[in-house]
Amino acid sequence: VIAHGSREPRSPERVVLLGARGFIARALRERLEAERINALALSSTELDLTRAESVAQLAARIERNDAVVMLAALTPDKGRDAGTLIQNLTMMRHVCAALEKARCEQLVYFSSDAVYDSGVSRVTEETPAAPRDLYGAMHRTREIMAASVPGVRLLVLRPTLVYGTHDTHDAYGPNRFRRAAAKDGKIALFGDGEEMRDHIHVDDVVRITHMCLEQQSTGVLNLATGRSISFRKVAELVALHFGERAEIVSLPRANVITHRHYDVTSLIKAFPGYRPIPIEEGIARCHREMVQAA
Amino acid sequence: VSSPVVGFAGMTHLGLVSGVCAAEKGFRVVCYDPAAARIAALRKGELPVSEPQLGELVAKNARRLSFTADATDLAACDVVYIAPDVPTDDVGQSDLGPINALLEAVTAAARRDAVLVVLSQVPPGFTRSKQRPGGMLYYQVETLIFGRAVERALQPERYIVGCAEPSQPLPAAYSAFLEAHGCPILPMRYESAELAKISINMCLVASVSTANTLAELCEKIGADWSEIVPALKLDKRIGQHAYLAAGLGIAGGNLERDLATVCRLADELGTDAGVVRAWIANSRHRRDWALRTLHREVLSRKERPVIAVLGLAYKQDTHSTKNSPSLALLEQLHAFAVRLYDPLVPAAEARHPDARAANSALDACDGADALVIMTPWSEFRALNAAELARRLKGRTVIDPYALLDARAFRKAGLDYHTLGARS
Repeated sequence: VIAHGSREPRSPERVVLLGARGFIARALRERLEAERINALALSSTELDLTRAESVAQLAARIERNDAVVMLAALTPDKGRDAGTLIQNLTMMRHVCAALEKARCEQLVYFSSDAVYDSGVSRVTEETPAAPRDLYGAMHRTREIMAASVPGVRLLVLRPTLVYGTHDTHDAYGPNRFRRAAAKDGKIALFGDGEEMRDHIHVDDVVRITHMCLEQQSTGVLNLATGRSISFRKVAELVALHFGERAEIVSLPRANVITHRHYDVTSLIKAFPGYRPIPIEEGIARCHREMVQAA
Repeated sequence: VSSPVVGFAGMTHLGLVSGVCAAEKGFRVVCYDPAAARIAALRKGELPVSEPQLGELVAKNARRLSFTADATDLAACDVVYIAPDVPTDDVGQSDLGPINALLEAVTAAARRDAVLVVLSQVPPGFTRSKQRPGGMLYYQVETLIFGRAVERALQPERYIVGCAEPSQPLPAAYSAFLEAHGCPILPMRYESAELAKISINMCLVASVSTANTLAELCEKIGADWSEIVPALKLDKRIGQHAYLAAGLGIAGGNLERDLATVCRLADELGTDAGVVRAWIANSRHRRDWALRTLHREVLSRKERPVIAVLGLAYKQDTHSTKNSPSLALLEQLHAFAVRLYDPLVPAAEARHPDARAANSALDACDGADALVIMTPWSEFRALNAAELARRLKGRTVIDPYALLDARAFRKAGLDYHTLGARS
């Protein structure tokens, strides 16, 4: 459910990346550089968004024709408590305050599918945002904060599980499975890994983001492939590249089985030529890159 | 009672078909519309709608039919139906402005002893609000089906009549007209009749939504919905005529209008309409089945594909494109070249920037990368698998309504996709 502000794609004059050290931000920066789009990448080293002075610092650096991409967040691996929530909201408050002082062309807020009720199995952009945890509540609150900035052309992107070679997180899924297989020769699944999930390669995420920047899109868009597979299947796809050196084992299940499928019709309508990287190909690509890096 | 003269006001789909069918039943009929141009066209035999048999019946009953733009001609009528099509907007809300104006004109022109009958689809409460002192006003449920309107008007299953006072007998002239059709007549209070119409449509939507929900499951688990339907129809609680064909959501405008009305009333009155909203969501989801399939099979795989789309009308045997799944699909295909063919609807109605109007179904398929059949016109059933395989450049055939013989098309080397079965 997005609308394009520009019918024909045109490159933004400049893209300001907030949270530039993160996994997605780095991939997006590389993409922008490859497309010869001017990017200003700001990590917490250059701009500490938890501090009040960041408002003036950021406002001073934003220009009228900039597209600002907000990727800065303390992710769940840094904490899932109320303190983390407050820090994340503080960061967003400062970004919004800066954007009230210095207008920009477009604000892209990177949210998460955690804004949806984790018990909902089929998700579209019209699925009510009803987060069950503080992380999801944080993203939903930040979405609303962004929408309340006067005059902002806002795009909210809600990615599903993102994977890629340079992922810094160790969330349950392709990245952790690959590292575990390489390190221990063992991939551990909860139960039999029956849960169905949609995994999107980071290159798809940045490609869609790039298209949204080119077309000045506004609204809410889920970033997914439209194809969900079980964690067991993901583990098997990863193990395939390790031959007999990777074993899949089961751990006692701590949570009930839930599934998540995406109806990506909105994405297809927005970008009819969108072709997601099949997970088989994405995992193979990650493996090749890992081997090359080693 | 001598045979009553019956008037019909509003010469769009409902009024015209109803008037012509009343003449076919042997009644003298006055067809009135304030639009002089529309009446002039009708006098020349130019019909604004297409329905099987309609043209023949107009010609056959010319002696009993008169078309007029002069409301005072309605003074000859014993019964006058107010029957304009009530337009709806994109979210199914009715625009009652035209029917209000027409009702006022008819009330002023009709005799004081004439029976006025609202035949158009109106929200509950409408008819009671239009009662006039000493006047005889009724509401009658219409069950017009696009493409089968004549058949339904000549052989109604029953008449549902909304009355100010259902315990009172119907006026003789009105009764004589209804009884000529030989079906049960069910008088009830205005509001019940108005809601009965909506209730019928809700039951139909429930069936269609059930069919669509389970057909989608069939596509995933390898069952075939077409094998299940006959079993369901033999269940007396479901029935032979149940709406169980899998489709591309709800279209046409009338069902959507009633869905919107129920949601609005439930919101106003605090009743639960969760299931109705679920039907609406399911309809939207299924409408995009063809787009998703086309994207998966062709758009995401091939650069600059050419797509042949057969059918533009919202269903077969009609010119109507209101909420047509075909037009909805084409709106999403502006980035691609398309070739269009519909037996009745001109290609220009699609307003596609890169469309070529084809002369025939086969002409549309020549050199196309994929074929999508979006309206189940019967002439498309005759498409030959080998011929299509020869003419198409690509292999993808998307036939949601299963008009074609899946086995023959697969045998001809085509990738055949239909609703309710795994590809």
